[in-house]
Amino acid sequence: MDKLASALLNFPPAGGAPDDDRYHWAAKSHSQKVDQLAGTPHFRESAAQLLDHVDPALNSISHLSLLSAARSANSLPQAELLAKVSIFLSTFDARQIRYAGKPFSVLLDWLVGWTLFPASVAVELLTTALLRLDPTGSVLTSHHVALVRLAFDTDNVELALPILEKNIVFYPGAKGQLEARPLCASDLPPVSYMTVESGLTKQLTSGDVLQYDLLRGLCFIQRRSWAQALEALERVITYPARDNHSCSKIMVEAHNKWILVGLLLNGKTPTLPNHTAAGAQKAFATLGKPYQAIGKAFEESTAESLRTEFESVGPQFFSEENNLNLMRLVMQHYQRWQVLNLRRVYTKISLEQMRARTQSAETAAPLATEAEMEALVQQMIDEGMLSGAIERPADGGPAYLAFHHHETDAQGGELTEAEFARKMARAAQRLAGLEPLVKATNERLGTNREYVRFLALQQKKDKDARRDYDLSFLNQVEDEDLMTGVVAGF
Amino acid sequence: MAGSLLAFFTLMDNQDGIIVKGKSAAHSSPPTSRPPLSDSLHLDVKMSAIDLTLRADPPKFDLELYIQNYKGRTRFDRLFLIGRSSVPLCVDALKAAITEAKRGKDAHRYREAVECLRVAAPSEPEATFDQAWLEALEAANLLETSRLLTELKGYKNNLIKESIRMGNEDLGKHLESIGDLNAAAETYSKMRPDVSTPKQFLDVGKHLVRVSIQRREWGMVSAHLSKMGGAQHAEEEKTVQPYLKIAQGIALLGQDRFRDAALSFLSADSSIAASTYSEIASQNDIAVYGGLLALASMDRNELQSKVLDNSQFRTFLEQAPHIRRAVTQFVSGRYSACIAILESYRPDYLLDIYLQKHVAAIYFQIRSKCIVQYLIPFSCVSLDTMNQAFGGPVQGIEDELSDMIQSGALEARINTIDKLVTTKAANPRAKMQESALRAAENYEKQALDRLRRMGLAAAELELKGGKKMGAFPSSQGDFLSEESLEL
Repeated sequence: MDKLASALLNFPPAGGAPDDDRYHWAAKSHSQKVDQLAGTPHFRESAAQLLDHVDPALNSISHLSLLSAARSANSLPQAELLAKVSIFLSTFDARQIRYAGKPFSVLLDWLVGWTLFPASVAVELLTTALLRLDPTGSVLTSHHVALVRLAFDTDNVELALPILEKNIVFYPGAKGQLEARPLCASDLPPVSYMTVESGLTKQLTSGDVLQYDLLRGLCFIQRRSWAQALEALERVITYPARDNHSCSKIMVEAHNKWILVGLLLNGKTPTLPNHTAAGAQKAFATLGKPYQAIGKAFEESTAESLRTEFESVGPQFFSEENNLNLMRLVMQHYQRWQVLNLRRVYTKISLEQMRARTQSAETAAPLATEAEMEALVQQMIDEGMLSGAIERPADGGPAYLAFHHHETDAQGGELTEAEFARKMARAAQRLAGLEPLVKATNERLGTNREYVRFLALQQKKDKDARRDYDLSFLNQVEDEDLMTGVVAGF
Repeated sequence: MAGSLLAFFTLMDNQDGIIVKGKSAAHSSPPTSRPPLSDSLHLDVKMSAIDLTLRADPPKFDLELYIQNYKGRTRFDRLFLIGRSSVPLCVDALKAAITEAKRGKDAHRYREAVECLRVAAPSEPEATFDQAWLEALEAANLLETSRLLTELKGYKNNLIKESIRMGNEDLGKHLESIGDLNAAAETYSKMRPDVSTPKQFLDVGKHLVRVSIQRREWGMVSAHLSKMGGAQHAEEEKTVQPYLKIAQGIALLGQDRFRDAALSFLSADSSIAASTYSEIASQNDIAVYGGLLALASMDRNELQSKVLDNSQFRTFLEQAPHIRRAVTQFVSGRYSACIAILESYRPDYLLDIYLQKHVAAIYFQIRSKCIVQYLIPFSCVSLDTMNQAFGGPVQGIEDELSDMIQSGALEARINTIDKLVTTKAANPRAKMQESALRAAENYEKQALDRLRRMGLAAAELELKGGKKMGAFPSSQGDFLSEESLEL
């Protein structure tokens, strides 16, 4: 057992590895050795005891293998095992785990499949672990897909937000990459180690990617975070296709929700981004008809057609499409948007006039009383949707709403220099934050075999074209021109 | 009698015709055609229920004088339109139309006009079909057509270009006069290969333009005109210039391109005799079309330089002094006066064959422009002042303003409590700041999107063909069966 312990504590070497290369080889051989040891019955028996002697933060590879062994041998009480797993997942050394991707993935899979942890804890642990592995959050893994589904199904979206709010730009499974740096290099972009080969993720399909973004969209819808939801759904509907006819069911589903979310966020139908695949555009045009009709009716000045549209399609249909509640919300928001649009026309308007000018989509008629109108406006002000105030003149005149306009301010909607500079600086910072992503993409492209071949071909072509041009130019030169020195440079 | 008139206009209304009602009195029509006063009151009530475009004023023109300005088939078209649209002029115009039709060879027109009159005023002598005349006419027409066809065949056999061209022209003219416009257009276009002089070339174009205008094919009119535009003798071009410009203007008007149409009318040469284009429009018409469309589409400076200071167009404007007045009022900033003049002439313009459909749109544009121009010098105007300047008795200015703001025609805000209109000054600095921030945001979004696409492409995860819809097993859709949004 002591022999086992010394083998397990053998890595990382005391005092650290002198350079990346040696660390790489040491880690690799250690990982292999631990794998071998894990196969022996002796290892399994003593795993539970050894766990206390192997520091999860320092000897992460060893600790991980002990955890797996302890679990499969059932040699630890449930609660203790769970506690050890939690500690491990929040403290492990991410650099080491790059060499133990497979067992690590297995551990994460337990987390999702196990019902032993409460779902909220599982979501939280998974989020923490994934962020420890890849602090940029820019690579999609199979664990992301499992995480978002778990979070959505068990209503624990908030805990997963740190992952869900990240912009994913890399996907595992790129072919023909030539990576010269060792796996442990500190400047290695996450996309180079979060790979199928390292075992940290499984191979994904386009369906997985689409599902991930759709579920993200649904999570944001659940939180009523419309802007984020719209963005997530937009990622689904603009998913690239190789040809002009393919489109996925998930994309159509996302498109329909996307229209409704757009109505809630902006009060109008969002426009399909230009780079939407042709096949998808066609599919949206036919399969999204009821939703497009709703979007069109929403922009009209009377509620009648919206109500007719909704009722002619029927709640049954929307309920089958899992959009009934979203649709109901759209119906509710119709009048709110009408109220909001009045801001473009009026600075002050009496509640009675507002009542007459806006209609509820549920009844296709104005609200019955001024008090109802007031309640609605007050609610909008409270929710921050509307900036304004209801005022009641002291002389007993009718109550009215005064919109707060930026342009009626003293500066006419202008930001102060300092404020503007601050906003610009923030924007610049965000852009600078993209730099590592751009760099990684660039590097990967530069080391991609196919791209290099393409580039070489291109350069050769350019050279050929240049030579052809020179020849044709020389042929055009008349004999007299030879004297003037036109061709001196050739 | 009034009853039958009412029945007639109800019918017209059902066919989406425009109805221009006038007071029954004060017109040069024979007493028989005028409804008695009591009935006309009754009619008034019913009519206003039919159409809101009804106006209290009768048209300001005299039918006889009006129609004198035209020649050719447009005379009937105009009379017939007035007959179908104007209450006070209905019977007169229809009768004149019947007379006009009898002078021509078009049996179909005669039938149409008589049928209308039969409904509107059954007691008139013209309201009965002249069956004998009709039969004789139709027989003669048939005979003439076949004669011309035979002649043309003979010319074709002789292969003399000039004869073939003339044969085609004769046949075309005949077909046009009997109302077979389709065949006429076809025949006229067959003249084209045998044209030998510039004048003949222009004649072909004019025939085709005329027929296309009658058929209301504005796109075709423009196409024929552009063919006529190139490669002609300077002299011929001069005489035909107003014809080209006017036809072009009418075609553009028909396509709702008001500004281009206005420019076309404004550039018509007034020194050429009106007879060269009286088959499509009169000088008065040119002044009205040009003036109204210019008012609808140009700003004050342009109106001054292109309409009032335009020596060519001045001649036309003399024919329609009220248009000149309206433009002058607009230029000098008296918008309400301008609108008042135009409103008083609205019934006239509603009876114009080309203008009828566009009057509402043109007037609306002029009115909005007046309001916009009116507001320019002010930062804040009271609604009462605006009401005095523009408001009709029926509808307050407020609704109109709110429509204009909503459509983006006007940058202003209404304060209904203090009854004020505040115009919004453009703030370039705020706009710049906003656009800068938005540009940064867009850039970020686009950059991310491109990186994502490159990532997907590198991982070869794009959707692939072969498996179309439902490329993914339906079970993948099943897990979404719950909608978790709570209301």
